[in-house]
Amino acid sequence: MTIKSWMKSALAVGALMTLTTGAYADGMLRYATVGEPPSLDQQVITSDLATTIAHHMFEGLYTFNGANAPVPLLASGETVSEDGKTIVISLREGVQFHNGQAMTSADVLASLQRWGEFGSRGSLIFDHVESVEASGEYEITLNLKEPFGPWKNLMAFINGGPAIYPASVATGATKEPISPENYIGTGPYKFNAWEANRYIELVRFDDYASPDGEADGYGGARVADFDTLRFIPVSDVGTRIAGVRAGDYDYAESIPGDLFAELDADAGVKTMLNGGPIFGLVFLNSSDGPLKENFALRRAIQTAIDKKPALQVAIGPEGLWRANGSFAPEGSVWNTPEGTENFSKGDAEAAKAMAAEAGYDGEPIKFMVSTNYPFHYDSAIVYTKQLAQAGFNIDLQVYDWATLIEKRAQPDQWDLFFTHHGFVPDPILISVMNDNYPGWWATPEKKALKDRFTASSDPAERQAIWAELQALIYEQVPTMKTGDVYTYNIASPKLKGLGEQTLIWPSFWNVSK
Amino acid sequence: MNIINFLRNAFAGRKLATVGFIWLCFILLAAIFAPLIAPFDPLEIDPVGRLAEPGLPNLFGTDHFGRDTFSRAIYGARMTVIIGVGSVVVALVCGGLIGMLSAYFTRLGHFLMRGVDVLMAFPALLMALVLITLLERSVFNTILVIGIVYATTTARILYGMTLKLKGEVFVDAAVCSGAGHSSILFRHILPNLVSPLLVQASFIFAFAQLQAAALDFLGLGLPPEVPSWGNMLSEERIYVTRAPWLLIYPGLLIVLSVFSMNLVGDALRDSIDPRFKDDIAGV
Amino acid sequence: MLAYTAKRLLTLIPTLLAATILVFLFVHLIPGDPAAILLGDTATPEEVAQLSAELGFDRPLWIQYFLWLGNVLQGDLGTSIFFREPVTAVIGSGAETSILLASMTMVWIIILGLPIGVLSATKHGTWIDQITSSGAMLAASVPTFWLGLYLIMIFSVTLGWFPSSGFPSLSDEGGITNLRYLILPSLTLAAPNAALIVRLVRASMLDVAREDHVRTARAKGLHPARVAIKHVFRNALIAVAAAFGFTFAALISEAVVTETVFSLPGIGRLVVQSILRRDYPVIQGVILVIVVLYMVINLLVDLAYARLDPRVSLK
Repeated sequence: MTIKSWMKSALAVGALMTLTTGAYADGMLRYATVGEPPSLDQQVITSDLATTIAHHMFEGLYTFNGANAPVPLLASGETVSEDGKTIVISLREGVQFHNGQAMTSADVLASLQRWGEFGSRGSLIFDHVESVEASGEYEITLNLKEPFGPWKNLMAFINGGPAIYPASVATGATKEPISPENYIGTGPYKFNAWEANRYIELVRFDDYASPDGEADGYGGARVADFDTLRFIPVSDVGTRIAGVRAGDYDYAESIPGDLFAELDADAGVKTMLNGGPIFGLVFLNSSDGPLKENFALRRAIQTAIDKKPALQVAIGPEGLWRANGSFAPEGSVWNTPEGTENFSKGDAEAAKAMAAEAGYDGEPIKFMVSTNYPFHYDSAIVYTKQLAQAGFNIDLQVYDWATLIEKRAQPDQWDLFFTHHGFVPDPILISVMNDNYPGWWATPEKKALKDRFTASSDPAERQAIWAELQALIYEQVPTMKTGDVYTYNIASPKLKGLGEQTLIWPSFWNVSK
Repeated sequence: MNIINFLRNAFAGRKLATVGFIWLCFILLAAIFAPLIAPFDPLEIDPVGRLAEPGLPNLFGTDHFGRDTFSRAIYGARMTVIIGVGSVVVALVCGGLIGMLSAYFTRLGHFLMRGVDVLMAFPALLMALVLITLLERSVFNTILVIGIVYATTTARILYGMTLKLKGEVFVDAAVCSGAGHSSILFRHILPNLVSPLLVQASFIFAFAQLQAAALDFLGLGLPPEVPSWGNMLSEERIYVTRAPWLLIYPGLLIVLSVFSMNLVGDALRDSIDPRFKDDIAGV
Repeated sequence: MLAYTAKRLLTLIPTLLAATILVFLFVHLIPGDPAAILLGDTATPEEVAQLSAELGFDRPLWIQYFLWLGNVLQGDLGTSIFFREPVTAVIGSGAETSILLASMTMVWIIILGLPIGVLSATKHGTWIDQITSSGAMLAASVPTFWLGLYLIMIFSVTLGWFPSSGFPSLSDEGGITNLRYLILPSLTLAAPNAALIVRLVRASMLDVAREDHVRTARAKGLHPARVAIKHVFRNALIAVAAAFGFTFAALISEAVVTETVFSLPGIGRLVVQSILRRDYPVIQGVILVIVVLYMVINLLVDLAYARLDPRVSLK
């Protein structure tokens, strides 16, 4: 090789290296996700990842402010009749869909109807709805069979919730998620591209009609500062962290608790705690196997477990978890100590005696857990040890998530399984309240309380009934809460406007770089 | 051929290969006497003493469960030997039989080797992932999946070698003396293939470790509760900066063991019958 | 030659048919329901069954197979359940990364593997040979994900020389300079494979060197280096070229671990993710495409042998 060609290649390498940083303009936000969402159809998909992306382009009639209270978004207000059975919602005028059409009550009606019939959480409201009608061009009326307290919370919860689509999209849509060419919403960003395996890209919607008022939580004014939001699947968590540190991503989600101290001290990254905790749930089989209707045996299992060591192992630093037995976090109106004295006894001897009394004779108890979520697996390992110490014959079955959800649908395949639950604004949304959720908890005691719970719209009364329900959960043990986990994300320190905490899902309106 | 003499010849004047061989003997001893050597129970959880740095009493530190990494490494040697030997047995028995029978009975061989061709066309690692998901994660299934991959190459190699031997005088002599098929195959042909098989075995042993580690990394190998070096790396990989010892020790153990096995295989290859040397690729 | 080619092509048909059956069976026997994954944790079994029927998974397996085979024969690999896009398009988007990664890896293998192999063979038996041979073997003994992890820590996070992960398409902003995203991954992938080539080049050269025409050339008094390049190397090249062909095919699927560590949108990672999502059409499609690729390369190599080396009889 001649000297000249050496120099040429050296120059080329140099040019490559200087291009390493800053290849993208500041107008793009690069968000490293844990994977790809199954779809962005908010009405039927309950994946948190889907909502993180989709709530930038789809909006509902209501949303949550910083205190998790529902506030109008596409609605401008509502009137509820004296008997609580007629709700008239007025819509904001001048709102445009991404396809240029103006939003009217026809779109809202079609969206609500599709959600009511096929939406993941739609039946929760629509079981109580007599009819919905468009009572004016910008007015929608809900006629209820009986008063239904949590309607506004359910409307505001966009995850599996009533996102408003154009009537042309919502009409005729079924359980199958709508396809990307129909991703037409009213949000500050609009859908641009879904490159399979590469990224999902949203771009600013220039004709966005923002709600008024100061930004508060997801409520108030929304300003799209970025030209582009790009959500890139980076499944390996180590790679996500290295990527933010190296400046290849601006934001990365779902970071392990053990690295919090190190990352918090690193000036090159900003840690973003999530305000609402998630919590693990171990479901017990109410429909088949040794645990069916044997509440005494279930209480024995509950008594054997000490939740703290599992949280220490699975999450790490004390600040990121709470051994909290209440289904709602501290500070929430739904937080109640009812029944929680049995949350984490960890008393092997007492459990042994209780199990013997319940007629347990050492038959194997099948405990299913998935490795896709390390915190499930880590906790399950600890519980298995504790249960073995109390004399339970635990058959730990480790699957990937897809296999687990297939098996858990078959009552004869399992006795216990591990899952987790995201933050929800109303306890009615917690999976154990659904009689059809695997575990199939549907005792007469539950039904009586649940009916009273949904019929009431008086907040204080509902809170009191919820306390009774929680006590019943600790008595009949359809599921065991494993404690609150405060997850966190990391961001580039260059991002401005993120605030101190993430409300439920990260949002990037009112954020710039 | 006398195996002892064969080994002595193979290692004569090869210092590096000899060191590798000695290291493998250590691994084997650790595997056999793991319960005696390991100071702690490799599965004992200690939520208070998690992520402890290397020192005393935890020579290699502890992992995020608070389990003793040194004890896990010792028990990991056991998994290394089990995976290695298991894969070798599956590959040599299945592949060897198919290869030998195909070369000997040509009509059957035409059919069988076509099947081997089909299998060889499949992307090995991706098929292993599909099969493990299908069969569920277990030690046995991991061995089976890795073994099948190398059974195809072994079948090809043995096919070629048996064909060469089939044309030799001593086989004709055996046929003339009225020996049966099984007698010719296993008494006359097989003994000539022992040393090349040994070489092939050593390379399969080495490759199997890397394949198993890759499967563990992708979460589709040994069950996660099994203490293997691959699982240790996979489970603790997020701690690369927080607790570097969790990755350095198991990683080095894999590298050293695979390297040793490759060196040994290489030494053995150079001392086998030159007719078969080209048949075994190895590293 | 033409007859030989035609005959080889004909034998491919039953092999391919057998491959489609195997692929389909293995993939569909995996437990799990794609509908359940789509709908998420809160879906009830009834809802899952409803969507599963809408997607056509309630039909008998053999009907599903023949429907799929019929489409495959028309070049249609079906529609991804997860992406709701044609499988060919999904594979196509991964193919760019996979092919570029494999090509760059081949470049490293050639840059590193060939000269070291030649050096090792020409210095046969000396300490140089020992060091290079053992060094290559050591490189082949390192688990790729372990190596990749440290390369990211050193060259991306600490030194900031190369991007840590991901790969924007060449048609994206940045154009050809986006190749820098593939430098670390291709080096990671090259390490074990370069060693194979070193070994192969060395062995082939030593073998050929023993052959008659080389001895003649030496006897004629040609300079040893000239002999090495002109005679030894050229003949060894056939074996090496064949090895390159297969290595390239193998790299496409072997890259799965590297693609996962570096979060590259290649075909390997696509398969892993599709397995987790039970996206049957994508898994089947990718494996089938790789099987065909392997068979084509196999055919080309055989034909090349037949042409280049007259000693290969046309059986």
